[in-house]
Amino acid sequence: MKDDGFVIVGVRETPPPPAPRREPWYRGKPLFAGGVLGVIVLGCLLCGLFIPGDPSYMDLANASAAPGRAFLFGTDTMGRDIFSMIWYGGRVSLLIGVAGAAISTAVAVVLGAVSGCAPAWLDALLMRLTELFLSVPNLLLVVFLQAILGEASVLSISLVIGLTSWTSMAKVVRTEVRQLRSSEYVVAARSMGGGFFHILWRHLIPNFLSSIMFMVVMNVRSAIAAESTLSFMGIGLPLEVVTWGSMLSLSEKALLSGAWWIILVPGIFLVTTLLCLTSLGSYLRKAANRKERNL
Amino acid sequence: MTISRGAVYWGKKLLLFLLSVLLLSVAVFCVSRWAPGDPLVSYYGDRVEKMSPEERAWAEDQLGLNDPLPVQYVRWLTGALQGDFGISYKYKMDVVEVIGSRIGNTLILGGIGFLLIFTLALLLGILCAWREDGLLDRILCKVGTVTSCIPEFWLSLVLILIFAVWLRWLPSSGAYSIGKSGDLSDRAVHLILPLTVVVINHLWYYAYMIRNRILEEVRADYVLLARAKGLGKGSVLFRHCLRNAIPSYLSIMAISLPHVLGGTYIVETVFSYPGIGTLSYESARYQDYNLLMLLCLLTGVVVILCNMAAQAINERIDPRMRSGETGEVTRR
Repeated sequence: MKDDGFVIVGVRETPPPPAPRREPWYRGKPLFAGGVLGVIVLGCLLCGLFIPGDPSYMDLANASAAPGRAFLFGTDTMGRDIFSMIWYGGRVSLLIGVAGAAISTAVAVVLGAVSGCAPAWLDALLMRLTELFLSVPNLLLVVFLQAILGEASVLSISLVIGLTSWTSMAKVVRTEVRQLRSSEYVVAARSMGGGFFHILWRHLIPNFLSSIMFMVVMNVRSAIAAESTLSFMGIGLPLEVVTWGSMLSLSEKALLSGAWWIILVPGIFLVTTLLCLTSLGSYLRKAANRKERNL
Repeated sequence: MTISRGAVYWGKKLLLFLLSVLLLSVAVFCVSRWAPGDPLVSYYGDRVEKMSPEERAWAEDQLGLNDPLPVQYVRWLTGALQGDFGISYKYKMDVVEVIGSRIGNTLILGGIGFLLIFTLALLLGILCAWREDGLLDRILCKVGTVTSCIPEFWLSLVLILIFAVWLRWLPSSGAYSIGKSGDLSDRAVHLILPLTVVVINHLWYYAYMIRNRILEEVRADYVLLARAKGLGKGSVLFRHCLRNAIPSYLSIMAISLPHVLGGTYIVETVFSYPGIGTLSYESARYQDYNLLMLLCLLTGVVVILCNMAAQAINERIDPRMRSGETGEVTRR
């Protein structure tokens, strides 16, 4: 017998699979939006450094001056410099956005969790009340609350916005809690005597945080938009408190005199901020849902 | 058997509806009375300042504002049940008449706006889904996101600035020119700007929704089967996918009807368009109680009815929803 019909070749050499190309870390992340938002936020926080003057100083001789060397973005009908107002006003607008979103999130989480953990009748009652709350037009609610809370201030307007925008998030929290509440670790924590807020804070919130995170960002956005709308309509902050919204409330006069910068400049800042927040929010939403999609 | 079950079902719904409306009326009644402010100002205007305390007391008594809250509420309710909703303090007219003279304008603006949003969103959604990730889709998505971010009052201002102040093509406010309330073309010209704002503001939200709904549908297994059978792309999309996507779109649009109507409020105020929006804004600010009550009830009823319609549609699509959450309760 001859053996040379068979050749022992051993394991065939295969080229090592090409290393999977690492996606650059910034892939799919809203870098541009984040950067622009960062510039706006930093500019508003640090505006004291690069703006020497008082933003509410009224230079009546230069009222409604067009943008130029002296006034970068022009002045409003009361002679205030729009460039410095933008940054100082942005502080208040952003503050109201964050505060309003914090209040609405707190209300939504507590109410949603109570409703999710409660027996069926209480749950049904709470949800019916929520629907009822939704059925009153938001604008009227705001006017009511404003009237009850008295003179508008930054705090009261954040409270008003927070108290009128919690409903949809509360529904999401409720659904999430309903799914989580019978899981083993919650039962275990409860049987060991954990109180409602302990379980909520330690077990429930970490689990549904990612699914409401984008709603929180969206709430910041809608709170900023709501503040500007209210101030524009004259039921929000008064003219003396500089915000993007109260700057826009001068636009009726500006329309008559054709002073476009009074309308366009604060509005562009407002819309840019809202847009950045939206793209951050939708990035967070996609990040939270990433597992479910096979795309 | 089935008839009686159906009767019970609808009876329950009706009861729930009535209860909600009643609760809503109590809530609005209490809140508006508790809110500070002087309703006499809206009735007598500036003359209130000069009134002596006796005159004030007499006037309040005349309007029935001195009685305790429950008495006032019961009086309002008995009147309302007989179709008498009281008079508006500001307009000194029957509330129903005041609203009746304005509601047409809002219905035209909101109704046309809603129809446009409904059809355009569907078309845009299908177009985007058809060309998923294509150039057109990406452009539309970007533009749509931008438009949905613009607050409606600012959009109105910019449009007024461009088309009314700079170009002078369109009027900036009102529903018709003075003395031309019957002229249809004049009304249409006044409607263009507010309508544009209403449509642009809501359109993308719903278009995006229907786009994603269809994209979800396109990934289902039955599409593969239909394609394998040799059906064309178009007929799969329209005959199969769309048919599955439409019911949930309908229920969303039912919920959104009051949302769109509510969106017209702000637009109405910016354009000083004589509709329900400006009216309810005024009545809430100036304590015009009776007017406010009826306006809130009207919007509330529309919202509750639309929610019920949406729920009914959902139950038609998926009968499991009818049983509600009874299954979950026992699982505790």
